[in-house]
Amino acid sequence: MEDQNNFPNPTSNSDQSLDPAVEKKRQAMIERLSNRHQARVQSKDSDSSPSFESTETFLARFSELKQSITSEIDQIEQALESFTKGDLDNVSALINDLEKLLAENSYHLPSYEVRASLKIISELRESLDNVSVKMVPKKKFSFRSKVAKQKQPVVAIVEEPKVVSSDKACIMLDTPGFRNREGEVLVENLKGKNMGEFTLSNLGSCEVRLIGRPRAIFIHRLRNCKVYAGPALGSVLIDDVEGCVFVLASHQIRIHNARRCDFYLRVRSHPIIEDSSEVRFAPYCLHYDGIEEDLTESRLDEETGSWENVDDFKWLRAVQSPNWSVLPENERISSLRVSTADS
Amino acid sequence: MGLLSIIRKIKRKEKEMRILMVGLDNSGKTTIVLKINGEDTSVISPTLGFNIKTISYQKYTLNIWDVGGQKTIRAYWRNYFEQTDGLIWVVDSSDLRRLDDCKNELHNLLKEERLSGASLLIFANKQDIEGALSPAEITKVLNLEALDKTRHWKIVGCSAYTGDGLLEGFDWLVQDIASRIYVLD
Repeated sequence: MEDQNNFPNPTSNSDQSLDPAVEKKRQAMIERLSNRHQARVQSKDSDSSPSFESTETFLARFSELKQSITSEIDQIEQALESFTKGDLDNVSALINDLEKLLAENSYHLPSYEVRASLKIISELRESLDNVSVKMVPKKKFSFRSKVAKQKQPVVAIVEEPKVVSSDKACIMLDTPGFRNREGEVLVENLKGKNMGEFTLSNLGSCEVRLIGRPRAIFIHRLRNCKVYAGPALGSVLIDDVEGCVFVLASHQIRIHNARRCDFYLRVRSHPIIEDSSEVRFAPYCLHYDGIEEDLTESRLDEETGSWENVDDFKWLRAVQSPNWSVLPENERISSLRVSTADS
Repeated sequence: MGLLSIIRKIKRKEKEMRILMVGLDNSGKTTIVLKINGEDTSVISPTLGFNIKTISYQKYTLNIWDVGGQKTIRAYWRNYFEQTDGLIWVVDSSDLRRLDDCKNELHNLLKEERLSGASLLIFANKQDIEGALSPAEITKVLNLEALDKTRHWKIVGCSAYTGDGLLEGFDWLVQDIASRIYVLD
């Protein structure tokens, strides 16, 4: 339920007998608003994310929209009786759009501009509020002897403390995973297990084969490792890895603090990197007996090509980030078959 | 909130609430917003910047600001504090390693004066994952009992994946905000 603007039906509002000139003006206004709405809808269709490359382009567009909203509000204010609540709602929708425009561009804008723009938006809202207060028919003011209904006092709602039997340190250790290993081949077959998350932490020069479908994978502090994993239904979170190869399939993949790593991914959304360098990407290439069913059940059977749509949170420009690249085809592992048997 | 703005809100027929949703990356914020709005949650990219969602909930209009949780973006959270009626803090209950980070970020956030009047809902998300901490355990680890006594808060276990618990959380938050802002109804 996004903010849909319901345009007032002119016939339903024509109960008051307005003088024709005012009525005409009002019609023109409604038409203008609806044109604008159309334009907005169309621009949404043609370009799903109207974000601008430069601050200047954004500011120009922003101030243009601000101008037109201000003039709408002024017009309404000058002839209050000829506009309805519906007209106000339309202006309010325009303000919401302006806010969305800011939202979409906020990331690349300097924080001063974001603050300034937010301020402008809240000022627009305020002046619209002022107009709408004027428009609301005044009630006759009178004192009443009746005491207003007493509201129960607001009480802070605090959950009653519960006793946790197991202590924190214990909880930390008993989740499935491989931790603190050096130079080993680590194999886990998750088939037939009701698996939650799987953790790989503090591994050096290990090969990890994870067959089956983990719910989520956490990877932390790996050096010179190879990680081959079946599809994860949820997300994969990677932090602090160096000199590794990862073959992973998941709905979401976040990569933090990675250096000199290759990622062979199948992913439903954009993989992201943050604070990473010299990382390369290629499509998923893992095979084991039954992987097709696992991929299907995790809804990862289709190659959407998202593996190369990498978002670098440290490089938010249109030009290619220097921190990652597509792994050249002649350097890729073409196909990789793993089994639970040690090699 | 000044008296004038309270009066304005009362005058408005449509009752709006502004809700800020934050938490570490990978906690499931965008998934929660889309799920509660009945949208497809199967393809969600990590949030670059933020999303605004306007939804009707009971007799209120909620403007939900879902701000990305990646480290690089956390510095920008402060840009969205103004006029926040409700704060939703989302926790990945299965990410045990980062619970300390989570606790520190939350307590830092709550020091912010502009958020001092906001009702606080904590979603202990991903309860459907085997091995996730329960809301009671999260309460303990995040040290929620030590929150300022004037703060209205509640923790609710949920799963954005199945939808469990989301309504319970939003019901509480909306009621709590309404009881503060729209007392004169």
